[in-house]
Amino acid sequence: MHDWRSIVRAHLGHFPTDAGRADDIVEELALHVAEHHAELVAAGVSDDEALARALEPLQGDARIARELAKAQVASDVPPPLVEPSGRRTLDFWRDVRQACRLLRREPSFSAVAILTLALGIGANTAIFSVVNAVLLRPLPFVESDRLVMVGERADDGTPGNVGFATLVDWRDQSRAFESIAAIRLWQPTLSLAGQPERLPAMRVSANFFRTLGVAPVLGRDFTADDDVPAHRRVLVLSDGLWRRRFGADAAIVGRSVSLDGNDYTVIGVMPSTYEALISEHFYRRAELWAPIGYDQTLPEACRSCQHLKAVARLAPGVTRAKALADIDGVHAGLRTRYPADYSTAGLAIRPLADELLGETRPALAVLMGAVLFVLLIACANVANLQLARLARRQHDFALRSALGASRARLVRHVMLEGLVLAFAGGALGVAASAWLTPVLTHLTPVTSMRMAGAATDGRVLAFTVVLSAAAALVFGLVPALRGARVDLAASLQSDRRRSLDGASSRGRRALIAADVALAVVLLSGAGLMIKSVGRLLGVDPGFEPDRVLTLAISMKGPAYARDEQVVQAQQRIVDGIAALPGVDAVALAGQIPLGGNGDRWSVHVEGRPVTADDPYLERYSVTPRYFEVMGIPLVRGRLITDADRAGAPEVVVIGDTSARRLFPESDPIGERVRIGGDNGPWRTIVGIAGDVRHRELAQEPTMQMYLPQAQLTDDFVTVVVRTAVPPASVAPEVRRTIAAIANDVPIDEVATLSELVARSVGPRRFVMLLLQLFAALALVMTAVGIYAVISYTVAERTREIAIRTALGASRTSTIQLVLVHGLAPVGVGLVVGVALALATTRLLTASLFQVSPTDPTTFAAVVGVLTVVATTAQLAPTWRAMRIDPAEALRQP
Amino acid sequence: MSMPDLPKGSAELLILALLEERERHGYEIAKLIDARSDGAISFHVASLYPMLYRLERRGLIQGKWVERASERRRRFYRLTAGGRARLESQRQSWRTFFQALNRVAGIRHA
Repeated sequence: MHDWRSIVRAHLGHFPTDAGRADDIVEELALHVAEHHAELVAAGVSDDEALARALEPLQGDARIARELAKAQVASDVPPPLVEPSGRRTLDFWRDVRQACRLLRREPSFSAVAILTLALGIGANTAIFSVVNAVLLRPLPFVESDRLVMVGERADDGTPGNVGFATLVDWRDQSRAFESIAAIRLWQPTLSLAGQPERLPAMRVSANFFRTLGVAPVLGRDFTADDDVPAHRRVLVLSDGLWRRRFGADAAIVGRSVSLDGNDYTVIGVMPSTYEALISEHFYRRAELWAPIGYDQTLPEACRSCQHLKAVARLAPGVTRAKALADIDGVHAGLRTRYPADYSTAGLAIRPLADELLGETRPALAVLMGAVLFVLLIACANVANLQLARLARRQHDFALRSALGASRARLVRHVMLEGLVLAFAGGALGVAASAWLTPVLTHLTPVTSMRMAGAATDGRVLAFTVVLSAAAALVFGLVPALRGARVDLAASLQSDRRRSLDGASSRGRRALIAADVALAVVLLSGAGLMIKSVGRLLGVDPGFEPDRVLTLAISMKGPAYARDEQVVQAQQRIVDGIAALPGVDAVALAGQIPLGGNGDRWSVHVEGRPVTADDPYLERYSVTPRYFEVMGIPLVRGRLITDADRAGAPEVVVIGDTSARRLFPESDPIGERVRIGGDNGPWRTIVGIAGDVRHRELAQEPTMQMYLPQAQLTDDFVTVVVRTAVPPASVAPEVRRTIAAIANDVPIDEVATLSELVARSVGPRRFVMLLLQLFAALALVMTAVGIYAVISYTVAERTREIAIRTALGASRTSTIQLVLVHGLAPVGVGLVVGVALALATTRLLTASLFQVSPTDPTTFAAVVGVLTVVATTAQLAPTWRAMRIDPAEALRQP
Repeated sequence: MSMPDLPKGSAELLILALLEERERHGYEIAKLIDARSDGAISFHVASLYPMLYRLERRGLIQGKWVERASERRRRFYRLTAGGRARLESQRQSWRTFFQALNRVAGIRHA
């Protein structure tokens, strides 16, 4: 007889539990072993062998003791059938791989989702890389936040031009600035190898480059010694010019160069990385620089000769407000001493960054907002796709839940799928944007060196990563939460084609509404811009732009030192061109409207008190047939004729607005005026001409005046040629004629007047084009989204529709059922979208022209377009619903 | 789905199912499983009792020493209400699992 308890106890060894319990366990196990032994013996096994076999499970390591000990520990959580994971990171990668596998198994869903996301993320990345290059990158100057523009306050509150003497006084008396530099437009003609070329350039004070914190890479910078009249014929070249016209000559420093017929010495070359942003913004991107070289004895150095711009660096620790107070004080002193030379307007200080980038900021902001909307629509569509897909996978989730997966795990799984989709879409989007961005910067009418820096750099990539993750969150969260909420019993019992899961269907319809709402906003923005640009192009510029060719020429150098020489050369050129076939009329003008120039002179009417607040008028010095060529009408009096030569009585023709403003009560004809200070002759007003839009079509006409070229001669003129044939076809002949008459006269900026008009609306039009593109994208995505959801709904409700049809429902009622169900969220989306659009389109106000941001016609059109698109998108699925054969449908499982 | 610990889950099901019929003691449970599965599944003492104690701890079964005349005292186990619910839930899960297996791999259960 065996003592089973002792035997079992000996085999178990010690296991941690209280003594009473241990006794119970031992007894129970002993009983089991004893019965097993008895059974074996009864079957004929020997006692020893039976003992050995009965005790075998208790042999070996202390595993059973451990198991018994574990079993004594209360545990409320049932051991799941699936191994609970303790190793988090490995789990994560396993889930990622699993998500990838699942997505690979549904290629059409994955492809559509990834492409949709790629579109949205790619567009955002492209625009952001431009925003990054233009706005976010710091200016390429040392401590650029301390650089400002300073000047007398213009009508729009920005700093205007300054006179040389004023600048000298500012420098001497103000404490607030580390340095103040001056700049001025300069357009010298380079005579090299018999090819005259007019170059965009700047005259700058000696401290200009030092103020910016840049320096030439070859040779040296300007010094104060250079900046005097006697020594101002020194040059710093741009890297581009050095390579283009001088073959990157290593011995360029010290070389002599002929500009405007005078000899200049090259003293330095700027590095290739230097961005001539300031000249680009105010004039044209400079290719060379020379000192201003004034001293106070020169007439152009006068206080009221305001043709310089001041760029300054704030002293360390000085704020703009303090600087303004300081310089205002200095300026007030100057005003007291020279009241006739300064207006009462006061001064203004503006950060250089604002000056250079201020115009592009609103447009870029609009584009960034628009493209974000496109992404939101993309997310709504993908969310819808996910919802539909997860509804099909209800069983899968129910099973996982039964096998122990927690809700959090299921949510995480779905979110991971979303992340995989989003990052795949993001990667594709980045690739697309890397291709798209150069195309964008090439097409944009705003030619800026800053845009050329748009590239997919670290910051852009970081932006894409963050955006992808955010998108995943946006489109993934709702489906994930919905999918993970599993009604175990319901889904396990259901058959495969279950009729509407109410909550999921609501979610999808809400997403359709969101889609439509966002599309409304985008379409409204695009529509308003289209209307604006249309209105703008419909504005009467005040002249006839069709069939007019323009060219810029300049006459500098010893051959044109005297005005008579210039006037004679001008006459020869006019006569030469007029003789060409296809030419109706030729004229010259110091500047033309929409030509990107400005030249305003003060005008003082005889008999009126002398004040510093004389008005400034846009000056056009023209040859007699100018008005005929440009199609500018005569209002009263007469226009300029051949009789208005040098030595004849000085005359002037003023514009309509000038006439009304300067002579509100009387007739201007016969009145006399003095222009540009008190040193010139009195000029008689002989006529009033129609106004032109000078700076841009959107701006009301300014005050304008016309003088005969013969009486106020310009070195630089624009040739305008009215042709009977397409103007561009005449251009080569015109060039040859000019070259034949005066081969030292460079020809520049050849364009038709229509091109100039189109260019003036270029930036707005570009924004409009991009908005159109985004709106079109939004429309397509919304249509596809609606189509997909309605298709799915019809498929889901096949049985229901079949039953209804079998029970006698007419086709009409089936159509109603599907269409109403589908259009209801569209209707909601339209209402919400219009409300949203009304709130956001006011952000476009700066870009709009003669169009209210809440223009009813545009909104009505948008609602109409979307309704048509939404209805069309539902046609195919509705047609399918109508064609459902009840018998066929009900036969299916 | 990965199911590396199938036996654990199935052990629970087996035990609960057997106790559904009537009260039993440990040795009887082991014998029945062995017999009804034609020897395919067998529990030895080292795995059975820890399982029973765990189930008892979770309130799915209840053990009680019973002394009968002319017999040793034995510990009998019976199903609690919670155990009954758990058994039903497990049955459903396994049913669905086999359906899924069937759809995917053509495995049919008896």
